[in-house]
Amino acid sequence: MSLDDIKKKLDKIDFQILKLLNTRMELDLKSNKIGKHLEDSQLTADVIEKIRIQSGALITPQFCEKLFKDIISESKKLPSKGYQLIGFQGDHGAYSEVASRIWNKNLIPIPCNEFTEVFSSVTSGLFDFGIVPVENTLGGIVSQVNQLILNADLYVIGAIELSIHHCLLGLPGADHRELRVVYSHYQALEQCHHFLLRNKLEPVPYYDTAGAAKMLAEKAPKAAAVVASNLCAELYNLEIIKENIEDFNQNKTRFLVFAKQENKAAGSKCSIIFSTEHKAGTLFRVLEVFASKGLNLTRIESIPNQLGSFVFFLDFEGSKNDENVVKALEEVKKITTKFRLMGFYDECKEE
Amino acid sequence: MNNLKLVGSKNKKRTIIKIDNLEVGKDLIVIAGPCSVESEEQTMITAQKVKEAGAHMLRGGAFKPRTSPYAFQGLGIKGLRILEKAKQVTGLPIVTEVLDPRDVSWVCEFADVLQIGTRNMQNFSLLKEVGKVNKPVLLKRGMYSTIVEWLGSAEYIMNEGNANVILCERGIRTFETYTRNTLDLSAVPAIKELTHLPVIVDPSHATGKPSLIEPMCLAALASGADGLTVEVHHNPAEALSDKDQALTPKEFTLLMKKIKKLHTFMGTLNY
Repeated sequence: MSLDDIKKKLDKIDFQILKLLNTRMELDLKSNKIGKHLEDSQLTADVIEKIRIQSGALITPQFCEKLFKDIISESKKLPSKGYQLIGFQGDHGAYSEVASRIWNKNLIPIPCNEFTEVFSSVTSGLFDFGIVPVENTLGGIVSQVNQLILNADLYVIGAIELSIHHCLLGLPGADHRELRVVYSHYQALEQCHHFLLRNKLEPVPYYDTAGAAKMLAEKAPKAAAVVASNLCAELYNLEIIKENIEDFNQNKTRFLVFAKQENKAAGSKCSIIFSTEHKAGTLFRVLEVFASKGLNLTRIESIPNQLGSFVFFLDFEGSKNDENVVKALEEVKKITTKFRLMGFYDECKEE
Repeated sequence: MNNLKLVGSKNKKRTIIKIDNLEVGKDLIVIAGPCSVESEEQTMITAQKVKEAGAHMLRGGAFKPRTSPYAFQGLGIKGLRILEKAKQVTGLPIVTEVLDPRDVSWVCEFADVLQIGTRNMQNFSLLKEVGKVNKPVLLKRGMYSTIVEWLGSAEYIMNEGNANVILCERGIRTFETYTRNTLDLSAVPAIKELTHLPVIVDPSHATGKPSLIEPMCLAALASGADGLTVEVHHNPAEALSDKDQALTPKEFTLLMKKIKKLHTFMGTLNY
């Protein structure tokens, strides 16, 4: 083993320690939100006892005790900092996290395995906010998410339209000439099809873009690279080989931010959910209201509810303070069988 | 000349190569920039300066062919990413050298023109590889090559399907040692006679002396060259390669003024 190899391994280990510490802090934040504070003194004693047993010649019990006391005392400071959490589906570095950072960079993004976990954790109060993708210019609507929105009792308080730019990421110092395979979510791989073909790289589908980046950083498979966000490069200590490798520059995803409470600001956009009687012209009557008031619709989606019955998602441009909007909503309420105001909010766009 | 089926000028219109908004072979093209991409700062500063002076394209090496294996070998892909950023900021198309057939597809992802350096003029596997891509190739004359050998190399590229070849006279080895090479300006009208391809001149490598670059730039234009390529470094004394032949941005700005004047004058002479 050369000095250079040792240095590379040390860098990797330091990075892993940091990642683990971050995950530990995230768990502490979650436990604080639940309100059940873990018995600190007990925890400390338990942990330190375990560590004492496991310490060896190189890691003395004194060093361990000091190290873990530092970690625990840092954790204890977390509640006083008043952090707000935002849940997203995927691993750290997912495009949902990229969008959450654009919406509000002061929030702490917490990864979730499933979309349902995002919604249930906002409902339970574990997270202050949740962010989910609702539609994509290439992939269409995210139907799984629409079902969950329908069933969750939450408000929309923000929206982000994000241009998706994929990067080819490799391990630090990797030689581009040795790359053969590229891991990523199948949709991301498809969107970079020509790039991969031109450079004779074989696409290998993986469950998630950020998950692929994490796997590359941890397992370092030979001759491999990943397609993921540039945030992943930063988070997993990977090197950007090439930015903007997507074949078409038309790839945009729209995200909605949910919370338990309604948005206080007047907003410039509004989302509603409604259903109408199964009779001729009922949907037309609803749309007519918006047309007559001169309100611009930005999205209308029908989601199957039960067999043969549909619920409509509708977004339009309008503010809470606009009387025209208030009147339109009152009228719509009267001619629909089910009506829910999802919220007024501002939408930000990021190129 | 029988072997120059594609390169030869017989019965062919002069080739004009479109690169973004430029037309090589029709417009005057001045390519300027550092010998090597050394850092983001160095490249961005130089790129801005040459753009302000009126250069049309940015040059800069990411993969460097050096006489010694211990000399700076270039930043590789990192260097290409810096050039890409310089293009985003200045809008100048990028000309950069490719050394290795395995790098051709990668360099194409970042560059607008692939340069084949003097030492690789007869690297036939590399010529075939750049012949397969859809980016223009700037083919430098081998420092030890005759004009016909040089055109044979252009034929290799065109034979693979890439019709967009720009030739570049950069000086040849003679017994003269005062200059780095001997600039063969008679090659310019000769190329115009023999082929339909555009030809530009590189007085930086040909002379290796800053004081000789300006006169040779002007002489090249007078000989009918379609353009020039000039090494410019924002701080030549600290350049990691070819520091003795780089112009400062100030010198280059003055040179550009003279080049433009002469170009206008040449227009009144020829037609």
